[in-house]
Amino acid sequence: MPSNLPKGYKHISKKFFKEHDIEAWDKVEIKKGNSIFQGIILPRNQFAEDGYIEIKLKNGYNIGIKVQDLDTVRVVGKNPPMKVEFKGVSVPKDRAKPNVTLLGTGGTIASRLDYVTGGVIPAFQPHELYAAVPELADICNLDTKIVFKIFSEDMEPKNWLRLAKEVASLSNKEIDGVVIGHGTDTIGYSTAALSFLVKNLKIPVVFVGSQRSSDRPSSDAAMNLIHATQLAANGDIAEVVLCMLGSSSHTFGYIHRGTRVRKMHSSARDAFKTIGDIPLGKIDHGEITWFKNNLVRKSEVNSDVDTVCSTKIESKCALVHIYPGMSAEIIDFYIDKGYKGMVFAGTGLGHAPNHTFKAIDRATSEDVTVVMALQTLWGFTGMDVYSNGRKLKDLGVIPADMIPETAFAKLCWILGECESKDEIRTLMITNIAGEILPREEIRGYRILQGRTE
Amino acid sequence: MPNASEYDYKKLGLKCGIEIHQQLDTQTKLFCACNNTLRGQNPPDYTLIRTFRPVLGEEGSFDPAMLVEFKKNNLVLYEGFTDCTCTYDIDETPPFPCNTEAIDIALEIGLLLNVSLVDELHVCRKNYVDGSVPAGFQRTAIVGINGDIPISEHKNIGIELLCLEEDSCRRSGEKENMIQFRLDRLGIPLVEVTTAPDINEPEEARLAALRIGILLRSTGKVKKILGAIRQDLNVSIKGGARIEIKGVQKLDWIPILIRNEVTRQLALLDIRNEMLKRKLTPTSFTDNPLDITEIFQETKCKFVRNGVKKGKLVWGWRVPNMHALWGEEIQEGRRFGTEIASKMGSITGLKGLIHSDEVLSKYQFSESEILDIKKSLKCDEKDLFVLILGKPDRLFQAFEIVRDRLIKALEGVPEETRKALEDGNTEFLRELHGAKRLYPDTDSREIPISSEKLKQIQANLPRYPWEVMKEFEKRYKIPHESLEQLTLDGNLQLLEEILKVYSGKPTIIVSTLLETIKTLRRDGKEVENLKDSHFVRIFELLEKKLIAKEAIEEILAYLCDQPQSTIKDAMQTMDITSMSIEELRKIVQSLMPSFVSLIRERQMGAMGPIMGEVMKEVRGKIDGKIVSQVVKSEMTNLLKKEEE
Repeated sequence: MPSNLPKGYKHISKKFFKEHDIEAWDKVEIKKGNSIFQGIILPRNQFAEDGYIEIKLKNGYNIGIKVQDLDTVRVVGKNPPMKVEFKGVSVPKDRAKPNVTLLGTGGTIASRLDYVTGGVIPAFQPHELYAAVPELADICNLDTKIVFKIFSEDMEPKNWLRLAKEVASLSNKEIDGVVIGHGTDTIGYSTAALSFLVKNLKIPVVFVGSQRSSDRPSSDAAMNLIHATQLAANGDIAEVVLCMLGSSSHTFGYIHRGTRVRKMHSSARDAFKTIGDIPLGKIDHGEITWFKNNLVRKSEVNSDVDTVCSTKIESKCALVHIYPGMSAEIIDFYIDKGYKGMVFAGTGLGHAPNHTFKAIDRATSEDVTVVMALQTLWGFTGMDVYSNGRKLKDLGVIPADMIPETAFAKLCWILGECESKDEIRTLMITNIAGEILPREEIRGYRILQGRTE
Repeated sequence: MPNASEYDYKKLGLKCGIEIHQQLDTQTKLFCACNNTLRGQNPPDYTLIRTFRPVLGEEGSFDPAMLVEFKKNNLVLYEGFTDCTCTYDIDETPPFPCNTEAIDIALEIGLLLNVSLVDELHVCRKNYVDGSVPAGFQRTAIVGINGDIPISEHKNIGIELLCLEEDSCRRSGEKENMIQFRLDRLGIPLVEVTTAPDINEPEEARLAALRIGILLRSTGKVKKILGAIRQDLNVSIKGGARIEIKGVQKLDWIPILIRNEVTRQLALLDIRNEMLKRKLTPTSFTDNPLDITEIFQETKCKFVRNGVKKGKLVWGWRVPNMHALWGEEIQEGRRFGTEIASKMGSITGLKGLIHSDEVLSKYQFSESEILDIKKSLKCDEKDLFVLILGKPDRLFQAFEIVRDRLIKALEGVPEETRKALEDGNTEFLRELHGAKRLYPDTDSREIPISSEKLKQIQANLPRYPWEVMKEFEKRYKIPHESLEQLTLDGNLQLLEEILKVYSGKPTIIVSTLLETIKTLRRDGKEVENLKDSHFVRIFELLEKKLIAKEAIEEILAYLCDQPQSTIKDAMQTMDITSMSIEELRKIVQSLMPSFVSLIRERQMGAMGPIMGEVMKEVRGKIDGKIVSQVVKSEMTNLLKKEEE
């Protein structure tokens, strides 16, 4: 009975391994028809079909063979499990260089597939990162800290709070900037949340991720990390921003304000766009150019005032997409479950179907805060234009001129901070961190659709 | 240099394998829905710039070849087209499910090559950092292993591997530190057929490539255009090493390249023996290069002087006990020194390597400069010196490469990938990629091959082309060479189709498919617009005598220009209708009066000019032979009358 059965296999394959006394990583010789396949038994993706075995041939290719069709199999050698190791590079501290702390949240910056667990092995310690991205050592003295290891899609409001605390404490220390590595799925929620949760920030806080995995030679991970680190080290800004490639080319990065940035493509390098405005600036070969001047400058903040962080966040908030034919039961459900707030991504200027009004009325009467953001993403709410909007406003719905994700993060923060209805409303409609645009420039909505005119 | 004409390849232990890449003629690309088309020299719709970094292999180590590529430090510019490239091609979107049409063709080819098919395709990534694939890897999967193919009556060679993979980009230029690629070819499905190293004679390799080419083309499901099939060679001799030669564009190059590679390997082995005789070891090359720029401030050598003016340095290096060895020819017109310089140049981009086995007077160095070099480097007559001009950071790297190459010379032939040159020689392209550059594609799922599907393909498998060719040779008396060419053009099945509808002379079909197409292409016609159905239809019309064979070229030319049109359109536009002999006779008779004096003068010698005039009127409407008969008879009549 083999002690180390190959992982990921199901019933038929497992039985086969047991019968032939095959362990993971064994070198086997398989006869099938006139052919002999020689290779190493690999673990298998647990969602793949049963009845196959997967081997790696000497030439490096993997293939699958049906257990049922093969004639004979014998173990011809044993191998230790394939192990991934990063050989680190240690770089001594240079006093002349800025100090940057890189916080890890679970996204990977340099990683390799790990056959044993089926996941990826991240390189995260400074010596590993210096080995993977040697340019970092020229930019700054890098410290790293893993705050938590959570996939971006599994992130929760309490994680934002944890991260915000970390950032606030770093802002009060003698460091020049913070880089936060984050999975890109929900990175925009986190940038928005931290923009609200951390007050009196004194240093740049640069979120960064990679859209194309770091195990490919064409990955944007290294270039994004270099840009983000340069920005954290040298940028004259004391805000939460996101810095990733500005186009499909590996040339410059755009700097986006944390409360206005949104992931607009599932996989493109330049997926992140500032909504309703142009980006704050760009970084190209280490050179930072600011496009906007309404920034909180690092050089201008009062370093005597401590950076503080909220102590609470309300996680019983919901983000509800409004759609034709939606049932009012959805709203009732949240009220019944004790939710404290709801953000609607409304249609048009901030509308919801008439038949949901009763449920909305019930929500506001039971002190559930209801906020109206826009599923159009661009533009402002206009809840006085049509009667639908006027009625909603009358029911107590608060218009929020920001992207729905930011409205959601903001509501989580506000409801953690205060209880008074008036206070909640005032905070919601007041610009706190650049989330509400005072005006919309024409170029803030320039979707050229591949045309130049 | 050894004499190639005297090689006993068996004794030398020549082992040669070939890799054939053949694009498949599918509707769309392998992992996306883009059209499977090329855009020639059209200006691109968009461009983008990328950089590449080597990634760790599965076991945490780098593929050495990737590190060498990375050292080249290049930017890559891509030129794209909106209709045949999409966000997948530029690595902005994960792959879509693998093209089933392509899988089926690959399975069919697998069955024809007699390989053991795998039960499940696993897409792997073959990493490249030279920019030829925007993702930095080519997606590829093994379809089968261990097949064979007869290359003659007496010999079978093994097929080691059959892969289905996506084609890479076309290289379209290079500027300083920037390589340019076109994206249109990227992602076109292709099969890669790798033979076992069973080939022992240069000519045999050509034959094997021809045979495999014929087999692939005979399926009628692969691309026929120029460049759709590409060969690489693997060559080694006893005591030598495996050398991969890329970019073999013509079958006729194959034996020449192999012969020249054998020459090169033998010469390198001679050099190794001489180095060992001179008691050289890896530690012989530990000297550091010296900066001797000072010597060249006033030099007459133009490129050195200009370089120095621009702030470049000249570093000199003494290579002990190597005198005369860099001047040894290792291939015709190619010395050992060139070999080292081209490898150094290809990695660093530096061009100026000068060594003392060259005729230094061609650089216009003065005697005193040469003396100064030798003095500063402490060279005596047994030593050799090397000078390289460049910026300091690159110079360091350059000498590392030269040093490394010399250490490898002590072992004879270093394994590497080389590029075929027009003159039949080869030069260093990159280090040989190893198994470490393969990595499972984490973006795609395994693809099971159902046994029903296989049965279905098996049942419709075409006959082996050599069998078909043999039969046609016998039955229709079509020459072997013509059949071979037709098959390579991918037209064997078309020939078979036409033979079913046309009972006339097969030579007309053969000349249409071989000569007429060639003529049209030479005339600049877009022959790619011609479909098999066009040819079949034309021969149907010919069979029914609705057109004359003279009309074939005209109709085809019309269809090349107007791909949306039908043959009917072509015939109407060009007024091609069949003509009866009576109608012809009337035309001939009407023309005769104007030729009376000419006929009187030249008698039957006037036939030519008259035919010319008549053909102007009737070309394509009636067979030329009939025209000639009618003209002849009308002339005879006229002459008879005159006599009377």
